[in-house]
This record gives sequence, C-alpha cells and structure tokens, in this order.
Amino acid sequence: MENLFVNMASGMRSLLASAGLPDTATDFILMFLKLGAILVYILISALWLVYMERKVSAYMQCRIGPNRVGPLGLLQTTADIGKLISKEIIIPRCADKKLFLLGPILIFMPPLAVFAVAPFGKDMVAIDMNIGVYYFLAVASLSTVIVWMSGWASNNKYSLIGGMRVVAQMVSYEMPLILSIVGVIILTGTLNMSEIIRAQENVWFIFLQPLGFLIYLIAGVAETNRAPFDLVEGESEIICGPFTEYSGMGFAMFFLAEYANVVLVSVMATTLFLGGWHAPFGLTFIPSWIWFLLKVYVMIFLFMWFRWTYPRVRVDQLMEFGWKVLVPLSIANIFVTGIGKYLYQTIRW
Amino acid sequence: MAKGLIKGLGITLNRFFKPKVTVQYPEERLPLPDRFYGRPEFYYDKCIACNMCVNACPNRVIKLETETVDKKKVVTKYDFDQQYCLFCGLCQEACPKDAIKFSKDFELTRYHRPDIKIEFVKPEMVERKKAEIKKAAAEKAAAEAAKAREQEEQNPAAGKEGS
Repeated sequence: MENLFVNMASGMRSLLASAGLPDTATDFILMFLKLGAILVYILISALWLVYMERKVSAYMQCRIGPNRVGPLGLLQTTADIGKLISKEIIIPRCADKKLFLLGPILIFMPPLAVFAVAPFGKDMVAIDMNIGVYYFLAVASLSTVIVWMSGWASNNKYSLIGGMRVVAQMVSYEMPLILSIVGVIILTGTLNMSEIIRAQENVWFIFLQPLGFLIYLIAGVAETNRAPFDLVEGESEIICGPFTEYSGMGFAMFFLAEYANVVLVSVMATTLFLGGWHAPFGLTFIPSWIWFLLKVYVMIFLFMWFRWTYPRVRVDQLMEFGWKVLVPLSIANIFVTGIGKYLYQTIRW
Repeated sequence: MAKGLIKGLGITLNRFFKPKVTVQYPEERLPLPDRFYGRPEFYYDKCIACNMCVNACPNRVIKLETETVDKKKVVTKYDFDQQYCLFCGLCQEACPKDAIKFSKDFELTRYHRPDIKIEFVKPEMVERKKAEIKKAAAEKAAAEAAKAREQEEQNPAAGKEGS
C-alpha cells in the first residue's frame, strides 16, 4: 500500500522501456500520465467537495443535506454538473466574446499547474522542483488575472465591481500569505516542498510557527474567496461578482475551480505546516499518501467550518484587517523567527 | 474579538453533532392537529339532501341537485368547487347527518384546473340509490299487499264491505 503509486509509476516505466522507447519518450509519457492522474484527482475532488460542502453546511444547520441522488446523495453533484452541461451558454450581446469564453477555459489552468509540484506522499511528487514554494505562489496568483478578465469581459457593472474586488483582495492578502510562509523557509532554508516536508520529520512547523499558520489560514481563506471573505461574489451586494453573466458549463468551471483552489490552499498548508505525509504518533502502518490526503481534508473541513460560522466582512474591514493587522503580524513573525534561529545557531554552535 | 470567533466555531461544531430536525416530507410527516381542515369528504348514503350545507357555505362552493324518486329525494349532483373553499367548516357544522366532513389530507394540488373541482356523486351511485329506493318501495308495496291479503283472509266480510 505504501508504495502503491510509486510502484505503478516504476512498473509503467519498465514496461515502456521494454517496449524499446528512448528514455526521453518514456519520461514524456510518464509525465503526461502523472499530470493526467492529477487532473482526474482534482476533478473528482472538486465534485466530492461540493457534496461535502453541502453536507457540512447542512449538518451545521441541523439539516440532513442531499440524500436522494445515488447512495447517501453522493451522485448529487454529478447530476448538478450534468444539468449545467446540458444548459445553454448565454453570451451577452455587449460582452467581449473571446475574453468572455476564455475565462472559464483558463480558470482551471493555475490550480492544475500548481498541483504538479504538490507532494502527495513519500516520493509522490510529479515534478520535484527546487523552487516549488515560489512556483506555487507565482502560478496560484495567476487566477486573479483570469477572474478579473472574466469580470471585465462580461461588460456588466456587477461583474466589473466583482473583478476589481478580486484584484484588491488578492493583492492585499497575497502579502501576508507569502510573508507567513517566509518563516517556514527561514527554518528550512529551502524552497523545495519535499525538503520542507522532510525537515518536519520530528516536529511539525505548526508548533514552531503557530502565528505563521494562523496568518496563512486567514489569508488562505481570503485567497480562495470564501466566507467570511467572499466579497468577490457577495450575493447580496453584487449578485455573483465576476461570474454573474456566466451560465451552464462556464459557471460550472468557475464553481469547480473554486474548490480546486480550496484543495490547493489546503495542500499547501499541509505541506508547510502540518508535516505533509509524515505520520503522527508513529502510525506509520497507514500509507503516507493517505496521511497526506487526510490532513488535506481536515484543512478543507476547517475552511468549510469557517464558512458556515462567520458572516461576511465589509470591504473596508477586509482591507484594514489585511494591511493593518495581518501584514505587520507576519513581518513580526519573520523577525521573531529570524532572531530565534540566530540565537539557536549561536547557542548550539 | 477572538473569543467571539471561537465561541461561534463551538456553536457550529455543537450543531454538527446534534440530531437533525429535518422531516423528510413524503416519507415522514408531522402529526396534524385534531381540528385540521383538509380535503372534504362526502358520504353519499348519509346525505338526506336537506340543503343545509349549501345554505351554510359563505362562498357558495357546494352545488347540490336532487331528483325525487318515489316521494324520496335522491342526490344526483354534489359538486365541491374547492378553489373557492375557505375551509371554514360551516358546512360540516350545518350538516345534521355528518355527511360532509373535512379530512386531514392537505395535498390539494392538481395538474389541471378542472381537476380542482370535486364531483362527489357518480352516476352509478345515483343508479344504485334509485334502484335501492325502488326495490324498497316494491318490497314495501309487496309487504302491504301481503298484509292486506292476510287481513282479508282473517276478516273476509270486512273486506267485502270495504269493496
């Protein structure tokens, strides 16, 4: 079980090598398969998360939630997506047609690209990049542009306001998000995600960086545009923000991409703060990838818990909280971490 | 501030594990109060065609038509146009024989508008009733005839006198 996926990959490699393919072709095909597997994982987990969100929200409101379609309502999201696919895609007359249609096509690209560096288990990373964290932050922030583009192209005042809010919110919360990660990077001295996980073998960084984790958590919620920071699509204010004009599959793509982003932020939190695929309490008989996914889903549950507990904040509160509280705190965290590490080194050596 | 946030999380987590309040409607139903007025029910055999319910109804929902068969009234039509009914229950109160009653069935939706009107009396019911009355009348007549014959046998002189 532990090496299930690793063995599958090596088996595939030896199969392709025995078929007489050159090494580069084998590598190419294998990489293609890995990315395909990640794509399938993202899509299935997005479907599952919509169901999970509905169940969690229902349970927190003393309801039952979907339980009619399929066993325990598990096929509810599939049915919903099927319905959305069969619907007409309406393009507003004054919209910028090309950009409007490009939005939902591109929205899945940044999460998919970022998952390539996510370590799902021991030796289970599609591309072991030495600047993985940097790559993650750089590519993940691309989705801002795409959402803004869709908001602009819709040629609708609500979409435009939503798009501007995306930019404002993303830029303000990207700052504390990155600065909270810097603490971890100071401790490990590397940007490679596998290395960061290996450094957490004895103690998870949530215990060394509690403030950093807290800031990351709050900024992460804001980055995924979820309540209490869901101003981007605040229904009572701007209908659905940048997604107002989208119908059918276009809307479904944005909807699923939101959940892909939630998975992404949770994967990152697990990697940086929760010890990645390391088993707690020495429970190593459970495979590392199960541990990783377990931690990811605990994080996702945390995000859902926040969403169904807190009301939406106001725009000025959002900005004030981001710039006047989170950014100074994260800078202070870096400062303390730096001093701590310096002291540790001077005492030890 | 932080204290309130944590308290909120505690409340939602508490609800998460509490029993759910949902009543899954078509399978599960809440008990209805005793005085609930739902779809009306009409008992054809109890009705004596006294017209009390028709007069009691403030919206003139009920249409009652009768036919006299052998000196007895037979209800040939009892239409309840439910879309105008306000479920006041006055017809139920007015009825001396409890022939109209409100049941607890509240699922009154219909696919087509004409289906809302309830026509309680079916032609075969009328036929059956008429046949019953005629039969009863015939039996009665036969019984009377038999009685008369008996009397005649006992007292032939009186019978002759009478004729």
